[in-house]
Amino acid sequence: MKKFKKGFAIFIFLLPGLFLFISILIAPIAVSVYRSLFDWNGFSEGTFIGFQNYVELFTNGSIKFMTALKNSLILAAFSVFVQLPLALLLALLLGRKVKGEKVFLSIYFMPVLISTVVIGQLWLKIYNPDYGLLNRFLDAIHLGKLKHVWVGDVKTALASIIVPTIWQYIGYHMLLMYAGVKGVSTDLREAAVLDGATKWQVDRYIVIPVIKPIIKVSVIFAVTGSLKTYDLVRILTEGGPFQSTEVPSTLLENMLFLRNRYGMGSTISVMLIILCFAFALLISAAFKEREY
Amino acid sequence: MKMKRLLGSVLAGVMAIAMVGCSSAPAASDNTADTTEPAAAVSTTDTGSTDTATTDDASGEKISLNMWCIATEADSNRHSYEQAIADMQEKYPDITFTWEAFENQSYKTKIKAAVSANEMPDIFFTWSCAFLGDFVDAGKVYCLDEAYEKYKEELPEVMLGNSTYDGKHYGVPLTMNIVGLFANMELLGQVGYTEIPGTYDEFIECCDKLKEAGIIPFGCAGKETWCVTEYLESVIEKSAGADTLNDIFLGRATWANQDVADAVDTFQGLVNNGYFDPSGIGLTNDEVKNNFIAGKYAFYMNGTWNCADFANNEEFFPKVKVGEFPVINADKAKLGQLIGGPSDTLAVAASSPNAAAAADYAFELGKLICHYGYLDGCGLPAWTPYGDTSSVNALTQEVAKICENADTYVLFGDTAMNADSANTYLSYVDQVYGCLLDGQQFIDGLAKDIK
Amino acid sequence: MESITEKGPKPVAKVFTYILLGIWALINLFPIYFMFTFSLKNNDEIFGENIIGLPRNWQWSNYAAAMKTGNMGLYFLNSVIVTVAAIFISTMAAMMATYAITRIKWKLSKLTNAFFMLGLTIPLQASIVPVYVVLSNIHGLNKYSTLIIPYAAFALSMAILISSGFMTDIPAALDEAAKIDGCGYFGTFFKIIMPLMKPAVSTVGIYSFLQCWNEFMFANVFISDSMHRTLPVGIKALSGQHTTDWGPIGAALVIATFPTLIVYLFLSRKIQASFIAGAVKG
Repeated sequence: MKKFKKGFAIFIFLLPGLFLFISILIAPIAVSVYRSLFDWNGFSEGTFIGFQNYVELFTNGSIKFMTALKNSLILAAFSVFVQLPLALLLALLLGRKVKGEKVFLSIYFMPVLISTVVIGQLWLKIYNPDYGLLNRFLDAIHLGKLKHVWVGDVKTALASIIVPTIWQYIGYHMLLMYAGVKGVSTDLREAAVLDGATKWQVDRYIVIPVIKPIIKVSVIFAVTGSLKTYDLVRILTEGGPFQSTEVPSTLLENMLFLRNRYGMGSTISVMLIILCFAFALLISAAFKEREY
Repeated sequence: MKMKRLLGSVLAGVMAIAMVGCSSAPAASDNTADTTEPAAAVSTTDTGSTDTATTDDASGEKISLNMWCIATEADSNRHSYEQAIADMQEKYPDITFTWEAFENQSYKTKIKAAVSANEMPDIFFTWSCAFLGDFVDAGKVYCLDEAYEKYKEELPEVMLGNSTYDGKHYGVPLTMNIVGLFANMELLGQVGYTEIPGTYDEFIECCDKLKEAGIIPFGCAGKETWCVTEYLESVIEKSAGADTLNDIFLGRATWANQDVADAVDTFQGLVNNGYFDPSGIGLTNDEVKNNFIAGKYAFYMNGTWNCADFANNEEFFPKVKVGEFPVINADKAKLGQLIGGPSDTLAVAASSPNAAAAADYAFELGKLICHYGYLDGCGLPAWTPYGDTSSVNALTQEVAKICENADTYVLFGDTAMNADSANTYLSYVDQVYGCLLDGQQFIDGLAKDIK
Repeated sequence: MESITEKGPKPVAKVFTYILLGIWALINLFPIYFMFTFSLKNNDEIFGENIIGLPRNWQWSNYAAAMKTGNMGLYFLNSVIVTVAAIFISTMAAMMATYAITRIKWKLSKLTNAFFMLGLTIPLQASIVPVYVVLSNIHGLNKYSTLIIPYAAFALSMAILISSGFMTDIPAALDEAAKIDGCGYFGTFFKIIMPLMKPAVSTVGIYSFLQCWNEFMFANVFISDSMHRTLPVGIKALSGQHTTDWGPIGAALVIATFPTLIVYLFLSRKIQASFIAGAVKG
């Protein structure tokens, strides 16, 4: 009886969570995997075609999956090697008891609270070829020849997506890391300083190792986040010019609404899941090895 | 008199499409073609018809009908819809008619979702050929053959070609449009032209002179690939011939055609010669159109639905002329081979509880929308025009003259093809415009990727 | 309170630090300033006369335009409704699930936890196709619940991760005491645990808020009518309408952003503390 009661309680407590989780995440993934093997337009029956969608994804010259993948990997690289180091630097500096620490912290976190769509619109105004701040600034400092149609030029379009993306989320990672930096015990720091360590040495050999788990989480979020990018691409370039800034998510949307190819859309979903998991595992493994 | 002759030739031209029409278009949707305004979905529910007095002759009971369309407040067709609906409500006070307008892109999503959920409105706006064909294949569209009998006199059967599937009619056509070569004569005048050059060589010479004078010859919105096709399709048609292009669009011939490759190279030559505004790549069609009106470009190739907008701009209207793109290869193509045809269509849902009444209503409404749309200059009429049409703006009349000499019409590629092929096609067009592919790669790629 | 870490005055390094921090602060503040000022200018000022200065004639009519033609008021309300409901559902579901996982002893609790943690790496996009198909078949598109349920589901994993951090900190003795007092599992959860989880609720709330308030993809795909649009989708639609008129767009951006920023300014300490708590416990 007691055992039954316990089982019943567990069941009830888990029910809402499991219901949400399974119905919105797990079941759809299973369906996606199944549907990715079909040529299906969303309302008719669909024909089983095995792995043909997967093959087509890489061979069809109009789908541009490789470009999309390359773009999100470039974004991931910038996140990991530019965004996170900057965030870490800011967190370390703020961790040194500077005056106005709280004010800086508040300001740095602000962009995180702003909707990406708002940020996208704002940057569109900055990039506008005729009236945008950027081109006018270049004019003002007599560098008019550096002017570009920023979001419409193949050479600059991807960069003009990367800059706001990185800018917006530095605050997010900074705050996560700052939490870790503050968690380092003062005793430890003081002991090191007494041993003659400089501030940078304290950061390097004491603080960073302690906050390594947080850095790992940040890296995973930055990489999987880059694979999932959608908002800024939709707002700034719509995947253009000439599809040079497509990312997997914009392709996915095109498959559904422009091409009626739900099977291929599912295929892209499945590829995304696989990639996200693969990178998460890879990063965890990389951090584990370094511990020794 | 004149109108009649005009219509006659329009019909003769359309006959061509009707015959080659997409009677068995397999799958869905287009991504583009005719709209111009990216307005936000403004939904309007017209409640002006709550008054009920007489009884409806068809059913004898009060019924309500609902319609979805894309005539948002920013759309140039808005006015003709409003007037037509007002007329209908006056004529049928017993039918409670409500309608909603959605922004073009979101409408495509919405109507597809509604079709798959069997939640369609009684009457809905659709594009002909592949877009409607998909719904017809799924058995979701009411067959209009019976209702059409009553309107045969006013609506020539050839006009139904693009919405006829397996010999049955499923759509009420509204207006038809072609691609026109619009020219800013003020700018052309600056380099010594009073007419749009008639031959290709003269045309190129004119572009060179414009370029020398610091005037950009062409404006084209790179952010919306359908705008590029307005140029590219014309170039292909005038190089390789209308029949070749039509066969390819309708899947009867392969893309692997050397003439097409050469035409694409010709087009790319225009791009590489700097005839196109380089910043157009990052602009939308609205922005490009505004630039054209503001006098930034000498030429603008786009649908003739733009006539209404140009006519409404008093300052600009006297400067603009419309013409036909010149023939590039006279061995294969000739003047009178045009891009376009009737595409805007009303259809009735098979699931409607009052489908028969809705069918009649759709025909009458379509006739009125066509009438007012023509008066407004939103396009050429698919229905036989009636009443006083002398107020139609001069530009639309010029278009009518072009159609008078029409030889063959080739429907916009992305309307003629199913959704997947159309987007594959658009993607390749985009890459051609960006000079990432040459003509050979274009035809090879399309031959491989379009099933 | 000079700490011992301050190893004598090194003014150069210190000045450098402040310059760096200051520059970054400016980079963060400038766009917000720019957005606010151009929302109050007319096109003449924005396009030439006065690009980055304070507006000369404060054009409040831009705000009227954004509210009226842009419907920003409605979209704001929609965003609030969707976000609040999603946060409430996900927080409640997460607390309950966490209780079952951390405070009731059973064999599969670890596995269940790991199962929920899968959600941290699953991209939102993965479920968009099937969920879209199901919703369109059950007439589920274009409703508030269309967004609330997926948002709640996607916030769930993070919520469970954070709340289990908090919940394991609550001493087990409390449960024992409650049991002796005759409380069952449900009594213990609602009377003892929930009140102690208040800090966790605010932390979970902040993380979920960030996720839901700004979400664009689902909102863009699932909502096609103008009645249920959320702010991000509304702004995108508005910018399509006003390609050449920047003032109303600026006003819409401000309407979408400033309420959140103002709340944040008042509560920034608390919000940061909660956020940091999440990072540490998670």
